[in-house]
Amino acid sequence: MAPPAQSQRSPSPSQPSGKSEVSDLKLQLRQLAGSRAPGVDDSKRELFKKVISYMTIGIDVSSLFGEMVMCSATSDIVLKKMCYLYVGNYAKVNPDLALLTINFLQRDCRDEDPMIRGLALRSLCSLRVANLVEYLVGPLGSGLKDSNSYVRMVAVMGVLKLYHISASTCIDADFPSILKHLMLHDSDTQVVANCLSALQEIWSAEASTSEEASREREALISKPVIYYLLNRIKEFSEWAQCLVLELVTKYVPSDSSEIFDIMNLLEDRLQHANGAVVLATIRVFLQLTLSMTDVHQQVYERIKAPLLTLVSSGSPEQSYAVLSHLHLLVMRAPYVFSSDYKHFYCQYNEPSYVKRLKLEMLTAVANESNTYEIVTELCEYAANVDIPIARESIRAVGKIALQQYDVNAIVDRLLQFLEMEKDYVTAEALVLVKDLLRKYPQWSHDCIAVVGNISSKNVQEPKAKAALIWMLGEYSQDMQDAPYVLESLVENWDEEHSAEVRLHLLTAVMRCFFKRPPETQSALGAALAAGIADFHQDVHDRALFYYRILRYNVSVAERVVNPPKQAVSVFADTQSSEIKDRIFDEFNSLSVLYQKPSYMFTDKEHRVPLEFADELGNLSIGEAANNVVPTQMVEENDKDLLLTTSEKEETKGSRNNGSAYTVPYDGSSTSVFASQAQVESAVSNPTLAGHSPQASFAIDDLLGLGIPATPAVPSPPQLKLNTKAALDPSTFQQKWRQLPVALSQEISVNPQGVAALTAPQALLRHMQSHSIHCIASGGQSPNFKFLFFAQKFEESSNYLVECVINTSSAKAQVKIKADDQNTSQDFSTLFESALSKFGTS
Amino acid sequence: MLQCIFLLSDSGEVMLEKQLTGHRVDRSICDWFWDHVISQGDSFKSQPVIASPTHYLFQVVREGITFLACTQVEMTPLMGIEFLCRVSDVLSDYLGGLNEDVIKDNFVIVYELLDEMIDNGFPLTTEANILREMIAPPNIVSKVLSVVTGNSSNVSDTLPGATGSCIPWRAAEPKYANNEVYVDLVEEMDAVINRDGALVKCEVYGEVRVNSHLSGLPDLTLSFANPSILDDVRFHPCVRFRPWESHQVLSFVPPDGEFKLMSYRIKKLKSTPLYVKPQLTSDAGKCRVNVLVGIRNDPGKTIDSITLEFQLPPCILSADLNSNHGTVNILGNKICSWTIGRIPKDKTPSLSGTLLLETELERLHVFPTFRVGFRIMGVALSGLQIDKLDLKTAPSRLYKGFRALTRAGEFEVRS
Repeated sequence: MAPPAQSQRSPSPSQPSGKSEVSDLKLQLRQLAGSRAPGVDDSKRELFKKVISYMTIGIDVSSLFGEMVMCSATSDIVLKKMCYLYVGNYAKVNPDLALLTINFLQRDCRDEDPMIRGLALRSLCSLRVANLVEYLVGPLGSGLKDSNSYVRMVAVMGVLKLYHISASTCIDADFPSILKHLMLHDSDTQVVANCLSALQEIWSAEASTSEEASREREALISKPVIYYLLNRIKEFSEWAQCLVLELVTKYVPSDSSEIFDIMNLLEDRLQHANGAVVLATIRVFLQLTLSMTDVHQQVYERIKAPLLTLVSSGSPEQSYAVLSHLHLLVMRAPYVFSSDYKHFYCQYNEPSYVKRLKLEMLTAVANESNTYEIVTELCEYAANVDIPIARESIRAVGKIALQQYDVNAIVDRLLQFLEMEKDYVTAEALVLVKDLLRKYPQWSHDCIAVVGNISSKNVQEPKAKAALIWMLGEYSQDMQDAPYVLESLVENWDEEHSAEVRLHLLTAVMRCFFKRPPETQSALGAALAAGIADFHQDVHDRALFYYRILRYNVSVAERVVNPPKQAVSVFADTQSSEIKDRIFDEFNSLSVLYQKPSYMFTDKEHRVPLEFADELGNLSIGEAANNVVPTQMVEENDKDLLLTTSEKEETKGSRNNGSAYTVPYDGSSTSVFASQAQVESAVSNPTLAGHSPQASFAIDDLLGLGIPATPAVPSPPQLKLNTKAALDPSTFQQKWRQLPVALSQEISVNPQGVAALTAPQALLRHMQSHSIHCIASGGQSPNFKFLFFAQKFEESSNYLVECVINTSSAKAQVKIKADDQNTSQDFSTLFESALSKFGTS
Repeated sequence: MLQCIFLLSDSGEVMLEKQLTGHRVDRSICDWFWDHVISQGDSFKSQPVIASPTHYLFQVVREGITFLACTQVEMTPLMGIEFLCRVSDVLSDYLGGLNEDVIKDNFVIVYELLDEMIDNGFPLTTEANILREMIAPPNIVSKVLSVVTGNSSNVSDTLPGATGSCIPWRAAEPKYANNEVYVDLVEEMDAVINRDGALVKCEVYGEVRVNSHLSGLPDLTLSFANPSILDDVRFHPCVRFRPWESHQVLSFVPPDGEFKLMSYRIKKLKSTPLYVKPQLTSDAGKCRVNVLVGIRNDPGKTIDSITLEFQLPPCILSADLNSNHGTVNILGNKICSWTIGRIPKDKTPSLSGTLLLETELERLHVFPTFRVGFRIMGVALSGLQIDKLDLKTAPSRLYKGFRALTRAGEFEVRS
């Protein structure tokens, strides 16, 4: 209704400012204002309509305020309504003129017609002008006592509006206690419901300062109030029922008979036509029975049918919201839904976010009895036109295979995928076969026979290629041409762009070497040479590590590279169970739709500013993970974990694709295979940043290896930074606490940079190219927060940076701490120049 | 708590803005939203609940109009979505359909309606019956009158009595010379059929719609001959729960006019009225298509408006398809639609032809899914039957009518 602020200042040429029209209207309104001629209301109505239509399309008509008020002396209700609408819209920007309207609104509040009384009172309270509150108290007081329920209903909401304009006026007039009385005694349920919602809001806001208010808030969920509301619940409107049900979820019944009474009373709400009521009821049921395990199970059985009906009956939007809740329940108790798996079959027309939910549910409910049919259905989707869904469904088949004991038929299916000659199908299937082999090594014979037929040239996707290479290394004794395939891959080392694939290639060649030494020797030499010369930190480190361990002792090397393996038995979950429980507690809220608990996404205004102490858990370990090993990785014992980690991250990423923002997921919950074999974990982890770069240079010299100079990074000459700086999070945290702030300033970010900052990762990469590494990052548009560090070249002097970028204002707040205070200014210049280049390069 | 509602046209223009709370939501959110929708490609494919940098947005798209609601606080998602659906229902009921022009012509009424439907971000009255008493809908008569006399008051000056009554869905006692009540069973059949003709899934979703014009406070009882086949039911608030629980009888005081009394679901149906047999055989860069459609189980009434639609796979260069009955069209977005109408007595309708594949492809890997549409008047395919409808204290003249209709919902045949 109000024009956006921008168009007030500079009306775009395509949209006329309407100035001449507005002054025209002004003139006409003025002429009509005093007139009492018959038919004047009709002409007024036309004019009002015009004014409001201008307002609607965004033309500023606030200059007509005076004239509109003058014309408002009328008995025509349509005119009044339009006038109220206009006044409500512009009073806030014209507080002085708003005073003019008080008079006629107050008069209308005493009108004979309850409709006009109500409307006038609503408009009066919607003016929201702070200096007019004194005029509200009187009409509100009499409105609350009005004989007509419509007026009372409006007045109750008016009290809430008054509270938001001026809390003290509202409290001083003792309105809350009047509302409380109304809530418990009014005959009209809508008045009761409005009282309830107003009181909840007022007392929750007051509770922090006043003990009495928090007591009153507690009293709302006391037994008498709850029972009083529950007994009348059928008289409430459907929306008010939702409100009452929400209140009931907060109520703690004293014993189980009370729980059963409440559930019996509410049971028919499960059959309500309004989905919001059904879901609110389900939430009450689930919350009430949390402590009673067996009843809780029965509740699942009971709510199943209403939920499934809601999914199939409502509009697509409703079914999506319900499906998200169903998804949550299915994940919690898959066995309850295992006979209803057909409800989760995807329809052709469904949008992909719905299909994705359904695929996850199908995966979850698979058990011995329905696996065959579910997998058959999933295989149908593999030929789907929608490629991402086809991929998901192949992954789903794989997940089911990993859950089940009888995988015979599934393995056949997967192997069929490999023969489908579609590159993405082959790619997904390869990754799955690899996972499958880790869990069921006994299938290796059948799988290897098929995998052996796949030419590595036809596999392009890094993950799939890595999986293929892993199999070549792991089963080189069974695959005739494994050494030669690996050799040809090593020959094309430079064309391989993915570091992940190169890492796997190194390991695979090593493994193959121990199984078939003569055939692999030359490939191993070439691979190690290429690996050590590699510009990628991890590849370089791993090659060097293999080289050294081979020099040190070949049998130790074999123990490290080819340890006796046990099959992986359990997949750790991608989402921690704690998070799932939090979401479950927030059933029937947005959390469920986003699959994140609300503390991760709600109202940024109310969110506590990030503090370092508790944020490491929430921030993603950025690219710096290449240098700094997150603690949990140390516990892992298999080189393949790298692959798995990135895989999981990617699935996470893709899940986030649908929603506009990504909440920082924490690196530590990105869990990986929980393997049982605990073999020499520390030694065998090649990515462990055991040696600092300086040290490794020294050893390199000893070994006489020609290490190519690290790629020169252009940086201002006054301060050279170490391109391979390493720092682990705990040290960072410790230093951050100890050091004083050396510099604190605001830097403006160029517009291209802001545009490129769609996700934190982009900036991380950019800064890394300037030798400034990120240790943690988080936040979402418009506020991103980064923690960077850098190290002085050939010195162990660190710079720590906290940088908060606000994309809407294009400003960055930077705090710098440094070991060496003298150079902090230089570093700041460097940092600023690096940041300013972001987006332009 | 919703903070603001916008109505957007199909080009993203803001047609209407209704601020609901003291927190003013800037219009620029709509620009963000529209950019988001465009980046998603297809507005129907974008999620109904999305998060913008500043607000959480609910969107419901009806007839090209986007109903957008914003909030900043945690709330129950279904309340937002259901409310928007109701708004669109009420508006289309009031304005006799939804489109950009009709909303722009009647924006004052839309404002009035929103004013009564939601206050301070919390939904109040969404029953069309009650709203109609507060705000008179624009009808042709009043439109003509307003043209002739220039008078277009569309507000009744009486308050609805029902706001205070304990039957909130029913307006104060109306009076009719002819007392009529009509009950319609409308069913939609959702089915998935495999390439070998096996029924993967078959389910019926049905609604009992009632159109009642009865004087006073009528108390109706509706019973079914075979209520046990119902798997799950949902009721209009007017239905009393206890009689249903004990005897499967619907006992209710109806709202005046048309409403949805009940919706139900019946799963695990064993057969479909039609069969569709698609055959696709690929050979040397060409794919031969042959689809037969015929009656599998005669429902006893004519099946009409039969259509068949499928998306041609993206790897197809051209398609040459013909049928021996009905018309075949290939639309711009590579959707092939075959309108059959009724099945003729003398032959089985068939669609045949060839698809030319992209040059390097030997055979087709992606198989189309055929979506089937049909309509059968006079039959509820689930087999649900109305036994009788009784009216306590029946007026002297009462007309009762029953009808049934089944149509295809999501009816898919895979190939």
